[in-house]
Amino acid sequence: MDIILATIINGILMGGVYGLTAMGLTLIFGVMKVINFAHGSFLMAAMFVTYYLFQLTGIGPYLGLFIIVPLLFAFGYFTQQVLIRPVFKIERDVREPISVLMLTAGLWIFMDAFALALFGAFYKTIKTPYKGSVLHLGDVIVSVSRLYAFLTAVILAILLYLFLKKTRLGKAIRATGQDRDAARLMGINIDRIYNVAFGIGIAIVGVAGAVLMPFYYVHPVVGVVFDIRAFIIVVLGGLGSIPGALLGGIMIGLVESLGAQFMTATWTEGIIYAMFISVLFLKPEGLFGFKAEW
Amino acid sequence: MKREEGRAIPLKIGRKTWIALIGAVILLVFPLFIRSPTFLQFMILILWYAYLTTSWNLVGGFAGVLPLGHAAFAGIGAYISSVLFIHYGLTPWVGMFAGAFLAAIVGVIIGTPTFKLRGAYFALATIAICEALRVILENTQKFLGFDINGARGILLPLKGHSPINYQFLDKRYFYYVILVMLAIIFYITYRIARSKLGYYLMAGGEEKEAAEALGINVAKCKLIAMAISTFFTALGGTFYMQLVHYIYPRGIVSLDLSFEIAFIAIIGGRGTLLGPIVGAVLLVPAAELTRTYLGGSYEGVHLMLYGAVLVAVMVFKPRGLMEPLEAFYRWALGKFSLQPLMQTDRGE
Repeated sequence: MDIILATIINGILMGGVYGLTAMGLTLIFGVMKVINFAHGSFLMAAMFVTYYLFQLTGIGPYLGLFIIVPLLFAFGYFTQQVLIRPVFKIERDVREPISVLMLTAGLWIFMDAFALALFGAFYKTIKTPYKGSVLHLGDVIVSVSRLYAFLTAVILAILLYLFLKKTRLGKAIRATGQDRDAARLMGINIDRIYNVAFGIGIAIVGVAGAVLMPFYYVHPVVGVVFDIRAFIIVVLGGLGSIPGALLGGIMIGLVESLGAQFMTATWTEGIIYAMFISVLFLKPEGLFGFKAEW
Repeated sequence: MKREEGRAIPLKIGRKTWIALIGAVILLVFPLFIRSPTFLQFMILILWYAYLTTSWNLVGGFAGVLPLGHAAFAGIGAYISSVLFIHYGLTPWVGMFAGAFLAAIVGVIIGTPTFKLRGAYFALATIAICEALRVILENTQKFLGFDINGARGILLPLKGHSPINYQFLDKRYFYYVILVMLAIIFYITYRIARSKLGYYLMAGGEEKEAAEALGINVAKCKLIAMAISTFFTALGGTFYMQLVHYIYPRGIVSLDLSFEIAFIAIIGGRGTLLGPIVGAVLLVPAAELTRTYLGGSYEGVHLMLYGAVLVAVMVFKPRGLMEPLEAFYRWALGKFSLQPLMQTDRGE
């Protein structure tokens, strides 16, 4: 019984991180109506930044957030400003511009292959002081770094939700997501909103990368695992929904960890895909019925 | 498009036809003079990619959606024809059609729910199907008595030079097979582009709502395109299997191959007849060279080239490389020809 309980808790904690990566993706989709295929590659980039920050200066992942988040925000901001914006301009009238999808797919492949050439295919880990330390909750043992990561995800989800609902910039972002032409008529600078939204999305994935590092490993194609999970999560949770992303992430985490108890771990991946495909067939608007906030 | 008035000289063959004829003759004859199997293999790969991307283009180009999992269908073709060959001795010439029909059915099954949704769903679903198929193949040792061998893959029993079993010792046969396959898919694309279906697809791809308002069943047209596209992709998978004799799940049902197919077509020019071929001719040699010189250290580094070129093309020439090439063609005609620009381009 304890094993099952521990598995459930572990699944939920890992799911929080999945949710975190998916949140950035869903935010970008909600505003720009574009799936950022390069999302996992940005996660990989954030993990490498965290890794080298720790190795070279000894700044841990959580303190490092103050460096990683602005860095990744700028990375996202300028990617959108320099690469995506010109492509977007051409397909301005199309609701979901396909050439932007292709652009991000190209970026994905490029970044992964580039990292492979730059860093090599080795797995890299960092050794934080709290690495391997655990909490005893009754009979259940919980990894501290996973717990921190999960708490970060929840806090960030709440902050993001409040930011979108309450602040002026958040409202402008949502308005752009709802109808970019109407928003432009209301005097919102669409290009800037896109830059900011993309930047925030990438900054969130930066947080995910940082909090993952204490208990995960980084290698050039680490993003693919999270990428594909994130794609599935955003569809499960409803494209564009922030609470949906977090819940969907937890669900995937649960399926994964529970599945691994009853069958070969590689099969659980198959279950996740099967879930995804059945949701696409039966309930493409997402499982939880969250109306996207756009 | 109507022919220009005043050019009614009978029996005059158009310039484009000449170019095509000369090209065809060169393609047909030159392997007779090639001794190096490496070079021939190289040419076969280019044609193979051109074939796959032309098949991809039917749905990815004309239907205005973004399939990113076409390797799954190539995998279905390769696995089905090989499994039938190994167990029943059925020649892959017949078995490949079993694989192709299955691939078409799978393609339609994926398309049915997703074509009604917005573009991103379809792209995501194709990625998921490709990955799901890989996971299934990697974890299946036996299925209905057929050996799948999981991650180890399938080895084709060799019969020596046996044309009836789609096995040749000389690469030239493969060269001609893939050349004919490319010609067929090219002709089909050509016909579709000029048919009602082609126009419906174009209309549905660009303005789905408007096309539907005109009474076009966009989803159905896309499904037809998907079925044809996946059918031929599966035939390409069988060809690959016959060429290399060995496949394993990660080797063919991979996102890498899916992306290569899609990227070559996009870089060449989505929705154009020649775009995929131009893309393959330009990119495959470059990628093979990168793979040879850099790939030794890490698998996948050659993809960097695809990614970088794709990003650059999307930013500077979002309609692909066919556009500047056509402009150059017209410019060259005007520069070096006595009849300046009389002939308008028919079609694209």
